[in-house]
Amino acid sequence: MTLRLLAGLLVIAATPLGAQGDVAARLAGRVSPEVAALVRQLAVDAAARGLPVDPLVQKAIEGGAKGVPADRVASAVRGVAGQLDAAAGALREGGMTPPDTEAIAAGAFALNAGLRGQDVADLARRSGDTYGVAATLRVAGTLAALGVPAAEIVALISETIRAGRRPADLLALPGRVQAEMARGATPAQAAAGLARAAAARGNPNPPHPSPDPPGQSRPKNPHHP
Amino acid sequence: MTDFHPLVKQLLDGEVTLAQLPPELRAEGEEALRLLEAVNRDPVALTAAVEARVMGAVRRRAAAPSLWRRLTEPRELHLRWRPWTLAPALAAAAALVLLFGRPGSAPTALAPSPATATVRFVLFAPQAQQVALAGTFNQWDAAATPLVPSGTPGVWTATLTLPAGQHQYAFVVDGARWVPDPAAPTVDDGFGRRNSVLTL
Repeated sequence: MTLRLLAGLLVIAATPLGAQGDVAARLAGRVSPEVAALVRQLAVDAAARGLPVDPLVQKAIEGGAKGVPADRVASAVRGVAGQLDAAAGALREGGMTPPDTEAIAAGAFALNAGLRGQDVADLARRSGDTYGVAATLRVAGTLAALGVPAAEIVALISETIRAGRRPADLLALPGRVQAEMARGATPAQAAAGLARAAAARGNPNPPHPSPDPPGQSRPKNPHHP
Repeated sequence: MTDFHPLVKQLLDGEVTLAQLPPELRAEGEEALRLLEAVNRDPVALTAAVEARVMGAVRRRAAAPSLWRRLTEPRELHLRWRPWTLAPALAAAAALVLLFGRPGSAPTALAPSPATATVRFVLFAPQAQQVALAGTFNQWDAAATPLVPSGTPGVWTATLTLPAGQHQYAFVVDGARWVPDPAAPTVDDGFGRRNSVLTL
């Protein structure tokens, strides 16, 4: 028992030091010493709270590579840390306890792309083991990056999962939305049409169709519910 | 070959019903369904003479297999092992390892992992002298992944094998200008620009 306790304490003590060393090595020569020190500190805090460290390091390296001034790099890295925190909270709200670092990183990406914490929680709740929370959130974030509104994203992914489509079909959704956009549909119309198609496939007796044909419904005006 | 409207193709795939098609496409949908039903799925009937000739050849071949065919033909192999034979086999294997080298010293097989995908990046930049790709997959190193001019003037390409997951990237034109991929979705990079997104 004493040995196990000792081993546990050693792991806890060594992890932040290891993370600091690794972060320092990755940032060496890529960012200013001030930014490197900030990222090291944020990385230690993040690791202690079960958050992924890599997105922080990546953002700092990206800022350095793009020649961004140090204060703006620091601000962007702090922003990423905030998104990771928010994503972890949303995943816990979605029933993932404790959330894994891959899902947290994917959730932070989805938030950055335009989804809300509630959407991340909803999608985490719906994705289950078959699709994987991280993959679901990456697809959701990519759809948001394409300009699909959050409500249509949640509907499309939910219908695809409900219809029992393969995980590869979920990953293919951004490409299918892009294809519909290339034919002239808006992102919302494309996602709504694909969601209706998934629902029809999942339900052998589909309900009465809407007056708008699939893929051609008018987007709802959020200011006039 | 008839090229149907994408919604009619969805109808043929069973993704939508005829009733869900817009009115102007229903006639095309009905026609497509009629064509599908009209496909002849009856088995092909051979004449008795052809069947007799084919079956005769098959029987002759089965009755007198050549030595080469007997040696090379795939066949079911039954292996039976008994526990008491395991110890000498393990001893023999250990001896072979000791004689001919350490286990694991052989080169690792470079089988492609299912968790990777090969992606081709393309940028049309007719004025560019050089184009590179920088992103999360190469530590945003603008010198690590240059694009090469393709056969078409002004078109630059690079093909990469990337791990499954989500990647962000941008093209770097002439070593200084960061340009998002016009064919990919983008997100705010936190520095007032946009990063392209690739999800595999």
